Amino acid sequence: MEKSIKIKFLSIGFILGIIVTFLSVSLLSTNVKTEPATVEVKESEHEEHSEFIELSDSVMKEFGVEISVAGPGEIEMHKDLTGEIIPNPYNVAHIVPRFAGIVKAVYKKIGDRVKKGDKIALIESNESLVQYNVTSSIDGTILELHMTPGELIGDENHVVTIANLRNVWAELNVYQKDLGDVKVGQIVEVRSPHTNSVFRNRLFYLSPTVNEATRTAIARVALKNVRGLWKPGMFVSGKVFTSVKKVNVSVPKNAVQIMEGQKVVFVKSEKGFSPRVVTIGLENDKAVEILEGLHPGEEYISKGAFTFKSEILKESFGGDEH
Amino acid sequence: MNNIIDFILKNRLLVLVIGAFIIAGGYFNYKQLPIDAFPDVSPALVQVFTQTEGLAPEEVEKYVTFPVEVAMNGMPNLKSIRSVSNFGLSVVNIYFEDGTDIYFARQIVNERLTEAREQIPEGFGDPQMGPISTGMGLILFYYLEDETGKYTLEELRTIQDWLIKFQLQTVPGVTEVLGIGGWEKQFHVVVNPNDLLRYNLSINDVVEIIKKNNLNVGASFIERDAEEFLVRSVGLATKIQDLENIVIKSVDGTPIYLKEIADIKIGGAVRRGIQTHNGVEEVVAGMVVKLFGTNSSTVIGAVEEKMKEINKTLPDGIKLVPYYEQKTLVEAAVKTVTDALIQGIILVAIILMIFMGSIRPSFVVALSIPFSIMVAFIGMNYLGLSINLMSFGGLAIAIGMMVDASIVLVENVDRLKRKYPDEPFLHIVAKASKEVIKPIIFAIVIIITVFIPLFTLQGVEGKTFKPLAFTIALAMLGSLVFAVFIAPVLSSLILKSKSKKQKKNGTGEIWIVRTLIKIYEPFVRFFVKRRYAAVILSLILLLLGILIYPRLGSEFTPTLQEGTLIVRLSMAPSISLEESKRITMIAEKRVLRVPEVRGTVTRIGRGEVGAHTDPINSAEMYILLKPESEWREGLDQEGIESEIRKEVEGMPGVLLNFTQPIRMTVDELLEGVRAELAVKLFGDDLTLLKNKADEISKLLKNIRGAADIQVDQVSGKPQLKITVDRHAIARYGLNLSDVQQVIRTAIGGETAGQIFEGIRRFDIFVRFAPEFRSDKRSIANLLITSQNGLQVPLSQVATIEEIEGPRQITREQNQRFITIQCNVIGRDIGSFVEESQKAIDENVELPVGYYTVWGGQFKLQQEANKRFAIVIPITLLLIFFLLFSSFNSLKNSMLILLNIPLALVGGIIGLSLTNQNLSVPASVGFIALFGIALENGMVLITYFNQLVREGRSIDEASIEGAKLRLRPVLMTAVTSALGLIPLLLSTGTGSEVQRPLATVVVGGLFTSTVLTLLVLPALYKWFAIKIKESEI
Repeated sequence: MEKSIKIKFLSIGFILGIIVTFLSVSLLSTNVKTEPATVEVKESEHEEHSEFIELSDSVMKEFGVEISVAGPGEIEMHKDLTGEIIPNPYNVAHIVPRFAGIVKAVYKKIGDRVKKGDKIALIESNESLVQYNVTSSIDGTILELHMTPGELIGDENHVVTIANLRNVWAELNVYQKDLGDVKVGQIVEVRSPHTNSVFRNRLFYLSPTVNEATRTAIARVALKNVRGLWKPGMFVSGKVFTSVKKVNVSVPKNAVQIMEGQKVVFVKSEKGFSPRVVTIGLENDKAVEILEGLHPGEEYISKGAFTFKSEILKESFGGDEH
Repeated sequence: MNNIIDFILKNRLLVLVIGAFIIAGGYFNYKQLPIDAFPDVSPALVQVFTQTEGLAPEEVEKYVTFPVEVAMNGMPNLKSIRSVSNFGLSVVNIYFEDGTDIYFARQIVNERLTEAREQIPEGFGDPQMGPISTGMGLILFYYLEDETGKYTLEELRTIQDWLIKFQLQTVPGVTEVLGIGGWEKQFHVVVNPNDLLRYNLSINDVVEIIKKNNLNVGASFIERDAEEFLVRSVGLATKIQDLENIVIKSVDGTPIYLKEIADIKIGGAVRRGIQTHNGVEEVVAGMVVKLFGTNSSTVIGAVEEKMKEINKTLPDGIKLVPYYEQKTLVEAAVKTVTDALIQGIILVAIILMIFMGSIRPSFVVALSIPFSIMVAFIGMNYLGLSINLMSFGGLAIAIGMMVDASIVLVENVDRLKRKYPDEPFLHIVAKASKEVIKPIIFAIVIIITVFIPLFTLQGVEGKTFKPLAFTIALAMLGSLVFAVFIAPVLSSLILKSKSKKQKKNGTGEIWIVRTLIKIYEPFVRFFVKRRYAAVILSLILLLLGILIYPRLGSEFTPTLQEGTLIVRLSMAPSISLEESKRITMIAEKRVLRVPEVRGTVTRIGRGEVGAHTDPINSAEMYILLKPESEWREGLDQEGIESEIRKEVEGMPGVLLNFTQPIRMTVDELLEGVRAELAVKLFGDDLTLLKNKADEISKLLKNIRGAADIQVDQVSGKPQLKITVDRHAIARYGLNLSDVQQVIRTAIGGETAGQIFEGIRRFDIFVRFAPEFRSDKRSIANLLITSQNGLQVPLSQVATIEEIEGPRQITREQNQRFITIQCNVIGRDIGSFVEESQKAIDENVELPVGYYTVWGGQFKLQQEANKRFAIVIPITLLLIFFLLFSSFNSLKNSMLILLNIPLALVGGIIGLSLTNQNLSVPASVGFIALFGIALENGMVLITYFNQLVREGRSIDEASIEGAKLRLRPVLMTAVTSALGLIPLLLSTGTGSEVQRPLATVVVGGLFTSTVLTLLVLPALYKWFAIKIKESEI
């Protein structure tokens, strides 16, 4: 009797021993399970990544978000070219003495303004020993004058260059890649970076050939130069407005965001703003033409679209830590 | 053993002197111990940083990360290499086996770095090792407050970089001071491309010419008469005018100066990080990094002193304002445990007084506490442990246990003294000591043995809890030494004269003990008579424990409250710094709406390389709170945290996390994935990796038990990709490098030497004016100058496209990889992994060279479980052997082991009553409990056996023995428990880690003591030694 009880309790003892081992192993090991990282995951999980986003007015204001109604607009396209000021070749006279001879007198200096027919110098012909006047053939300014009294002047080289600088040209270099867009008749805004002068006119000439060395064509625009600010040789830049298109829907450039490689605009619906894939047409520095995806009259995010994109991508930020 | 006792009693003076030496040595060692807040859990890690100007992640990986990685392979003690290639920064983390000497590791890394440097193309950056520090090394952050408001951010940053930084770095123990925020001063040469065109120059000409016109040279010396004259030519540019007047070109004798083609002005360097303050301004800040292994509190103190000095030398109106100091944390943590330690000691002393009834024996016993602690200090210094929350916590836990051995000894001396009042006292002491010395040694060896499983803990838990286990074991060792060597000597000296007074009390026990025995006797009689009642009682309790156990929540380690709040904002990876700043400032303004918040300082991105590697879409906001006295009624830190949470929640496009400084830094350094389970897909092609990872993630979603599946977001950084057409450049006679040089210099900018202002040096940075490089259109118009002077726009020879590229490239084992993380709910992870792997094998076609590896926390957990499954039974077996060799009885040993489950029940009930979770510290508590419970049982059974040997009947021996041993059993239990009460009740910093431990031990001690006293005597009959039959 007593022995069987003993055995019974010995076995109980063993069972307890096993329980001890089991308990201690499980007590010590279960703990390693839950991890801080999972808390993060859960946090983003219950935020239910939805494609519709609604923000309160105050938050929109805080984040500088603005809403606009889609509508027509103008999209102006331009090309930036560089070039230089040259005198109008039609207004430049290269005067060559008729007969070789000795310069007897010079009446003008370089830079003097002259009228057509004004006397510039007096030359005595070598052949006839007759004195004759060299006169200006146009109204303009004397740019070159290669005569000094007593000097012998031949009849082959020009000795006076007179140019009318009230009208000058800007000669702009058109690179091969821009040749398709730049056309005669387009408006050009010519600018000189250092004098802040600006002049607008139409292109009147585009060279039919491309320079072999520089691979550029030449576009010309005429500039009025009453105050003489456009000096030949000056370096200028020209902005050629290649096209202005009236489009049905134009949005600010930053309204279009790229998500997963697609261009989207955030459009308002009943449930909130959601990204809509759009096809874009023309675009310039400021505005983008929307061909498809946004209809006139729809409300969209015109400023702060990045905030909306971020909100949608939010759940993926977590993996960024390292 | 007996000889030892005789020996020490003969040489009492010698023993006391040695004892005094040990105490003095302990104090000396204590002074040398570094003081930290927590044990440093940072891995043995050397970081190699390479800053590369303007390179995209792909190029950083190819040109920089890869050579560095390759060079690091095959080093001794190397564990693994992981790398992150970000825009402009390559970080290679080289992990060594735990315990590797950090200087050794740095030395061999440095050797390999020279190799790596040769492989990195010139101008692509120079790899540097990070500071000699750890995750706990960021000890102090400060910002510069400008009260006058007249200093620009460049000026402030210059003050930081050239004045403050160098001074702070002279403080011993500071290894690095890293600046962030404001603008690093540069001399900007802003080139107008039209002017280049005008003079037919290329931007590279400009860079070259600036370089050539900014030099000092030495030309040795000349002799004149008896003297030597040194010759030097001075041509260094020192100011803007010097640069402006550099002649770039001369046409027909007309010089063209640099100023005619460029604006030269002071500006800020390209930056990848800023620091904002209160949502209104940018500030300049600095971080002080502590040298590895130095004493935090000393270094912080010295830094503070230095800062006071620096403040005096700064221009009027500028001062350093610290906004994060680890000091507060260190102080608070040390205070928590020191308070607990002192209170524990006092409580234990009081208990001793009550039970012993007189001062002298209590004094002898109590002396064991300082002695054990000093021994622990010696051991700590030897093992390289620091004073921190855990190691000191170990001491606080052990206080009650330190006295146990001495209690048993002194109590026995006391008892025998009363029993044989006429014998020579020295004789009594020797006899009493010899009686108990063996069980004492066994008991303490068992307690130390019990901690073996803790020493097998690995990783973070290991680093956190090993110091605790070590100090407990060391202190126990100390208490053993004290009990064996010193307590007998002291007893013989101090207890002697006491004997006469005690005689009056008849039985010799003081009234409290007598009352307790009176109460206790009927109970123990009841149970000894009705043994089944005892069995049923213990089974009921056991059942209760088993029922409660599954209801307990479980967590890893309770989060240590560092007392500093950080809100971490993550924004879209493509975000610009300006937008990041704007959003951060909105968040700061929101946080400031909470009235308890005094201010906020936020770091966005990274500053000087060394401490942080965050990209600019990540911001960390330090929240400065007002002093607690100014808080609203009834609001605690948690309350404030939830108020802040409410304020910042709902910020569109911002992901929020609450974290703490040390935890955050350490997390960053730790290796591997923090989710439960992760599939790492290794391979080469980033797009392919991403696609395959998506496929795998889809597959996993359909497998039962999968939750929170997340694929690493590797892409999402927009790129402007310029591909040069080789045919096109051939037509213009250009080299690829001609084009790329222009792209690099014009858009990214290039450093063309430096300007020296005294010893301060600032880069000369050449770049196009912003309007000519800041959008796709103007970049398309960049002009490339060919060798024959021809100018070609970039778009003529290259295609420019906007694409999405990788945000960063992570590598491990020299290979790119992508991680699919997930958690498993409601099923065994092992079977989940098996099923998933099968599904992947069947459904996902991986190209050659692509493979998956399973990892994550589950792996560590499995390893830990495996280890525990072996170590715990071995430990139990070991204990069993110890018990067996002590009692020479299988049954006795078993009976003592029975204490364990009963003690566990108490711990479980304790946790459940206080609403705490099962956690690592709770497990540590269970382990400590094992030891204490065994000790109780041993004390009792030893005496039962003694009585049985003396010829008593078993029942009588059980009752008598229980009665007589009530005092020591209660004393050891109550001292152990009360020693922990301060930890249990403490609310100070770090108490959240100690509390579960204390709860478990106190709860377990309660049940185990009650049951030892009631159930053990009852069950003794079945487990009694058999000797009686043969002996009587």
